[in-house]
Amino acid sequence: MTIECVNPEGLRFNQMKSSSHQTLETRMRPILMKGHERPLTFLRYNRNGDLLFSCAKDHTPTVWFADNGERLGTYRGHSGAVWCCDISRDSSRLITGSADQTAKLWDVKSGKELFTFKFGAPARSVDFSVGDHLAVITTDHFVGTSSAIHVKRIAEDPEDQVGDSVLVLQSPDGKKKINRAVWGPLNQTIVSGGEDAAIRIWDAETGKLLKQSDEEVGHKEAITSLCKAADDSHFLTGSHDKTAKLWDMRTLTLIKTYTTVVPVNAVAMSPLLNHVVLGGGQDASAVTTTDHRAGKFEAKFYDTILQEEIGGVKGHFGPINALAFSPDGKSFSSGGEDGYVRLHHFDSNYFNIKI
Amino acid sequence: MAGMASDGTQYDPRQFDTKMNAILGEEGEETFYTNYDEVCDSFDAMELQPDLLRGIYAYGFEKPSAIQQRGIIPFCKGLDVIQQAQSGTGKTATFCSGVLQQLDISLVQCQALVLAPTRELAQQIEKVMRALGDYLGVKAQACVGGTSVREDQRVLQSGVHVVVGTPGRVFDLLRRQSLRADAIKMFVLDEADEMLSRGFKDQIYDIFQLLPSKVQVGVFSATMPPEALEITRKFMNKPVRILVKRDELTLEGIKQFYVNVDKEEWKLETLCDLYETLAITQSVIFVNTRRKVDWLTDKMRSRDHTVSATHGDMDQNTRDIIMREFRSGSSRVLITTDLLARGIDVQQVSLVINFDLPTQPENYLHRIGRSGRFGRKGVAINFMTSEDERMMADIQRFYNVVVEELPSNVADLL
Repeated sequence: MTIECVNPEGLRFNQMKSSSHQTLETRMRPILMKGHERPLTFLRYNRNGDLLFSCAKDHTPTVWFADNGERLGTYRGHSGAVWCCDISRDSSRLITGSADQTAKLWDVKSGKELFTFKFGAPARSVDFSVGDHLAVITTDHFVGTSSAIHVKRIAEDPEDQVGDSVLVLQSPDGKKKINRAVWGPLNQTIVSGGEDAAIRIWDAETGKLLKQSDEEVGHKEAITSLCKAADDSHFLTGSHDKTAKLWDMRTLTLIKTYTTVVPVNAVAMSPLLNHVVLGGGQDASAVTTTDHRAGKFEAKFYDTILQEEIGGVKGHFGPINALAFSPDGKSFSSGGEDGYVRLHHFDSNYFNIKI
Repeated sequence: MAGMASDGTQYDPRQFDTKMNAILGEEGEETFYTNYDEVCDSFDAMELQPDLLRGIYAYGFEKPSAIQQRGIIPFCKGLDVIQQAQSGTGKTATFCSGVLQQLDISLVQCQALVLAPTRELAQQIEKVMRALGDYLGVKAQACVGGTSVREDQRVLQSGVHVVVGTPGRVFDLLRRQSLRADAIKMFVLDEADEMLSRGFKDQIYDIFQLLPSKVQVGVFSATMPPEALEITRKFMNKPVRILVKRDELTLEGIKQFYVNVDKEEWKLETLCDLYETLAITQSVIFVNTRRKVDWLTDKMRSRDHTVSATHGDMDQNTRDIIMREFRSGSSRVLITTDLLARGIDVQQVSLVINFDLPTQPENYLHRIGRSGRFGRKGVAINFMTSEDERMMADIQRFYNVVVEELPSNVADLL
């Protein structure tokens, strides 16, 4: 079953700041992907960039063709909101984390459910290791259970899959969610961030806490999202403190800060250009009771080095909850509280932006 | 003449406020109501049972909305409640949580009865009740007109904890004793002012007579006019009330516009001009009569515009299919009457068009509340003929809102 895609008039992507006062206007024609009946939570491209996976509160992760936005299929089995997903390097396996207190492994092609990891609390974040032999999964706190980071071994043959954890890392503050945890370079470390605003680097073998972000320069409020650079040398975090920060992956040194005016729910880094994108908007609970203009649901582009905003992409009518760049850097997708995935292919002007 | 009600319109703020003050009484005066001030800013702090909490978090809720912070706890304590909150801010989850918390799951008998004015809304509530009650193992059934009575009887026979229905079907089942009332301890009226209005009041009264005398009553709506409050006195016992002032009800996140079409016959051209904008996301077009729904649908289709339509005269199977298609996004423009003005929650609706202005004040608020649901901005466009100018001005005064002329770039607002 294919859902028709809509191609409304293109939206303006304009350069709002420029040392040469040059105004560059271009039109990107976003593809609106319909299919989710509730707010989006996460977006992820596969390694090749031909598939885009979306997660939402409607229980049904969905996979789309990344060039034209046609829906390819759905993964049915979760009984709660799905918070996160990851795809194996060869695009054969999908892992999803859900508020139904499980994480599930799926066969990407057939949509078949291969295994269910059961927890006593909502599963928040999932990430395959390099080589896909391991997965890191975070769980929220829940009645008597502290938030935690779990490392699971992923069997090559689904028949051999077991649910035991190789390692469980306890959060220093057990009542704060760990919103995101990902593998560090060579699977030697795990990088986590969450509601306590701290970024932590853990030894993935011993579970020892190796580094923690400096309070002085670090985020002041909950960290919502985290995105790694393709070469694992640095990563970007988004926060409710209205900033995104760029960190060195090994030393946890703060490199750059990008400041905006609304909470940041999602961040992404271009694999091609020195651009980062921030998405967010006012808190969902305040959207309908404050003035129409207060939402600020734009994906904001910044120059990675200069930390200057170079433009924005409008379109969502609810906060942006998810952002992702295609691996080739030529397109990006955003997912919103409004239930839409918007796929934008950059035109040639985007690649000629001068500061 | 001083004190004389405005003629030709019911949007009379002074009359509304006078009646409201008479019912609510002056500050400090002994009243019919219970004071309750507790606020809980997290679900964890509400002492809900773990399996209900699991259901709430699995649904994707993370923090309680304003009405949920104040409204869930008094309901869970068995108190009668009157709860008003703006459209799309979480009333359904409030009463569903309150009902679920108090169920005795080991007793597979109907313990809670929830009534809604339309079949679509009852089915929507039942879905939320099932989702939140998933880990509790709740058995919920929607009993609505137009569906098989025999099927309802069969399900009720096998045992349910909660019935969500429309008044006609529920009364019929109670009268036949297919639905036994002896274990019912909670009675909820959603869209309560509609349920207590002329059209439903007698049915509600008849149902209430069949319920146990000590039933807990909860009434919920985005609008709570004095007439409805007056009636609640007759069957509620010192309720906890959460009310919103008339002039604070409208949602600032829904941008409201008017288009001066001048004459009735020019509305169609205006709508066709807007059609491309309508179809970008999802839109609902409201007209005042069923016949006009059919007329407008035919006109739009004859101009090759794809639209869906629904109203109360259509058979239930068709209504269900249309609703399903609209929810999933496969149809994008829906023409309807006030049948869908209340409660319906469709994720991607960002635009409401009042092709005809509503004749009841409350329905203006309910209609535009189909866009601008929790977490999403919305736009409402009112088609105004020269005869509607007075009503448009009254709406603005009544709800303390500014309705601007529609700009040419409305697509940018969606």
